Amino acid sequence: MTDRLRRVGRRLAVGVRRVLRVARWESARASGGVDRRTLAAGVALLVVAGGVVGVGVATGVAGLDVDGDIYRVGVDDGSPYADAIEDAPSLRPVPGGTASLGDAADAVVVTVVRPGAGDDGAIDSGEVEEVIVRASDTRKGEAAAASVREAVEAHNERLMRAEPNRTAAFPVTVTLRYVGRTTGIDDGATLGGSDGGSAGGSDGGSDGGGETGGDGGASGDGGGGSGAGTDASDPGSTDAGTGSSGDGGFAVPSIGGGAFGADTVGSPGSITPPFPFTSLLLAFVFLVPMNFLIQAYGSSILDERTNRRGEPLLVTPLSAAEIVAGKTLPYAAAAAVVTTLIALLVGGGALSVVAVAPIAAAFLGATFVGAMFARSFKELTFVTVGVSVLLTTYAFVPAVFTNVTPVALVSPLTLVVFDLQGEAVSAGEVLFSTAPMAVGAALLFGLGLGVYREEDMFSQKPVTRKFLDALAVRLSPVPAGGGILSRDRRRALGSVALLTACTIPFVFVAELLAVAVLFALPITVSIPVLLVTIAFIEEVAKSVGLYAGFERGVFERSDGDGGGTLRVALAVGLASGTGFFLAEKVTAVVQAVGLTDLFLGRAAFGDVTGLSGLPPVALAALFFAPLVLHVVTTGAAGVGASRGRTAYALALTAATLGHAAYNVGVVSLG
Amino acid sequence: MIEVSGLRKTYGDFAAVVDSDFAVDDGEVFGIVGPNGAGKTTTLKVIAGLVEPTDGEVTVAGFDASDPEMRRHLGFLPEESPLYEEMTALSYLRFFADLYDVPREVADERIEAALDRLELDHRERRLGDVSKGMKRKVAIARSLVNDPDVLVYDEPASGLDPVTTNSVLAFTRELRETGKTVVFSAHNLYHVESVCDRVVVMNEGRIVARGSVDGIRERHGETTYRVFTDVEPTATPALDDLDATTEEVGDRFRTTVPSMDAVAAVREAVTDAGGEVVDIRSREPSLEDVFLDIVGRPMPGRYTGDSGDPGDSGDSGDPGDSAGDGEADENGETRATATEATE
Repeated sequence: MTDRLRRVGRRLAVGVRRVLRVARWESARASGGVDRRTLAAGVALLVVAGGVVGVGVATGVAGLDVDGDIYRVGVDDGSPYADAIEDAPSLRPVPGGTASLGDAADAVVVTVVRPGAGDDGAIDSGEVEEVIVRASDTRKGEAAAASVREAVEAHNERLMRAEPNRTAAFPVTVTLRYVGRTTGIDDGATLGGSDGGSAGGSDGGSDGGGETGGDGGASGDGGGGSGAGTDASDPGSTDAGTGSSGDGGFAVPSIGGGAFGADTVGSPGSITPPFPFTSLLLAFVFLVPMNFLIQAYGSSILDERTNRRGEPLLVTPLSAAEIVAGKTLPYAAAAAVVTTLIALLVGGGALSVVAVAPIAAAFLGATFVGAMFARSFKELTFVTVGVSVLLTTYAFVPAVFTNVTPVALVSPLTLVVFDLQGEAVSAGEVLFSTAPMAVGAALLFGLGLGVYREEDMFSQKPVTRKFLDALAVRLSPVPAGGGILSRDRRRALGSVALLTACTIPFVFVAELLAVAVLFALPITVSIPVLLVTIAFIEEVAKSVGLYAGFERGVFERSDGDGGGTLRVALAVGLASGTGFFLAEKVTAVVQAVGLTDLFLGRAAFGDVTGLSGLPPVALAALFFAPLVLHVVTTGAAGVGASRGRTAYALALTAATLGHAAYNVGVVSLG
Repeated sequence: MIEVSGLRKTYGDFAAVVDSDFAVDDGEVFGIVGPNGAGKTTTLKVIAGLVEPTDGEVTVAGFDASDPEMRRHLGFLPEESPLYEEMTALSYLRFFADLYDVPREVADERIEAALDRLELDHRERRLGDVSKGMKRKVAIARSLVNDPDVLVYDEPASGLDPVTTNSVLAFTRELRETGKTVVFSAHNLYHVESVCDRVVVMNEGRIVARGSVDGIRERHGETTYRVFTDVEPTATPALDDLDATTEEVGDRFRTTVPSMDAVAAVREAVTDAGGEVVDIRSREPSLEDVFLDIVGRPMPGRYTGDSGDPGDSGDSGDPGDSAGDGEADENGETRATATEATE
């Protein structure tokens, strides 16, 4: 035993040493491939980009005004608007008596007082009959007038907030609490539920203790408080497109209000939902360097394949995994260093670094696969751009809803937002957020490694064929003869089940992405689309490996023995469906973070809570029903795959429709 | 040192190598010849462990070809030698020595020795800036950094100028003297003749002839005689029966015949015409002629001057051999030299 451990340890040490050697040379090679001028230009671009982002953040955080003093407004010192205009950063007051429109001022405030009043130069507010704002007949004049109006409204708001008698200033106090929807389908509701719906009405006396806290506002607490008679009621309704008035939904969150955060105190017109703009912006900064890294990394991988440059590496004692690990390590290390630096700069902690790590791994993994499949640098460009857009979307869009719904946790970037907001997250939430991407990244590397061999690396096959090759290389032929459960047959069917099980992280990610994308749509539209989409994703995941097996000749399509082919198709369908069923249970982790509290979560991932009263047989039937579904539909798709591309497409369609019908049944039960 | 038994490699429906068997002894330079798509490169890649055989067994230095440990005993030179162009020759070779766990001092000694012998200058220049011949030499040096017992060279002189070609071939001959076992493929038969002890001739994935170069020549070729005369021999029934052909070469006539008896017939005919025999030369069959005899078609570009072999459809399924097609012009020129050299 000790000897064995020692051998394993020695082998591991040798492997690590080899990986580090390749990594060292890869670093030297990569740095030699960029001349100093290009490097300097890149750094300069980064600095400029960083500067722009920095200014943007500073503008939001520190209140720097890029539009300071751009409108000249003529106003007398005694005017009731004088203070408002003085306080407005974009307005520059000029003496009203000497200001002429269009020349010395863009707008002029004219105060009309009662006859006889103001003779002493001072205007008492009681003497004011009317205040008129006149603006020059230009676009700038119109803008100046609008700014004056905003400045006055803001000034009034401030005055009321400063009023010691709160009841006098705010006769009606509304307490907003953003909650997640837990109820069923409600026509017109969104998948995300009633985010800004319920409110506890109260009359006076409230000091805002129940208010949500701006950028750091509380996420939906599921409390589902009820209330009536407030302007923020009407639970479950949506007002997509506005989302700025606490009127029951913010499908498209407003970025208006205070300093990029939710403005939760004030009159109803100025209240905005808890949109963590600043934190999101800072979180996005973590993604920017990834785009540079994947360009360099993808080029390096493709460079190995171009003109067979990497062929000599394949005849060294190093394994393909060691070579790839060595080539990837410098870029992964660079991502780690940059991420840590950014975390330090923006005030993030270890959680931010942990959260970004799987994103970086996914960027690198997807780029690796893309570079292994691409036939040219032109194709690689499409791949890297595609990877960048897809992963950025996946990471960023859900994070927008960080303070709103648990759906946001599908993105690791949400953890970064939480970290920047100083909010604690549980280990389960970290796992839920990072595991799919991390496992997905590992599987992507595994997929690419399947074609990291001479026969595939240097051939100019279309991407689809390479993809099928990468899948087929993981499968074993199903022997025609032998016992039903002979060793070879078990190995072959086991390889099918394992391959299908490995698709689960991608299925999970794809389904979560579908959830995130459909989040804002009305349920009447999104639920049917979601059910069919999920059925399609799962059917593809279960059967694409089978199609690859038949297409690449791992499973024989025997012309003469149709019965043999049918048996093989059904056997691999059974294995694939079973593998998927078992792996699917991993998605139970969604329970840990309350995703199934959402109606959407139940629709996507199933939920049998509430069925505890059923007899054991019925529960068992419900538990194994998905197994039957997966086996039947995958068997059908497998038979189609064994007959060619067209038959596979037809069988896949039929399987998808059958699966979607099953999903409808499950949702109806839920 | 190398045992190939029942080797078969297929790509889908295409069989690149079919039932191939041969053995290579220690210290031998062994040639594999054949046209594009014959299966030479695939065979070499199976030996090098790059390609997994569909069927059959291949052992190298006592290891199965798929055993990573085997690679420590192997030096491989692919048909093309694209290098990491941003590296210098020295750093590139050190990199590979590092991968083979060769200590830096030992590696530097080997690298220096190889580069000296190959007359490679500009060791600190970026590989992207050196000539094709220089790159080829660096690739050859790379195959030696681990001091392997077996060297597998795929078209080592492909696409090189005559001077570099001769240098590379001479270096290969020297390797035999140092006890290395070399497997060497070429579709330039002169290269094979000048270097190899034994050869196999492959065509369409199968070995169609094997043995020493001389043995194959004896079995598949015939010596011809060229009789130079100052007048054209009178046409006689005897000459017609011999299929003698006469060409005018300068101020003389050259009659090619297949035997010494025919030479006598030519002499008689010339005498009848009032002239005399000026010179008689014998011409041994080249491997090229033997190849033509075995395969039934000329080497691509050899006689037609075409840049490739349009009839060689097998390339599409054999990724290993596809790269050689575009080099027939240069090869044709070299072969002309080769033909002269064999006369």
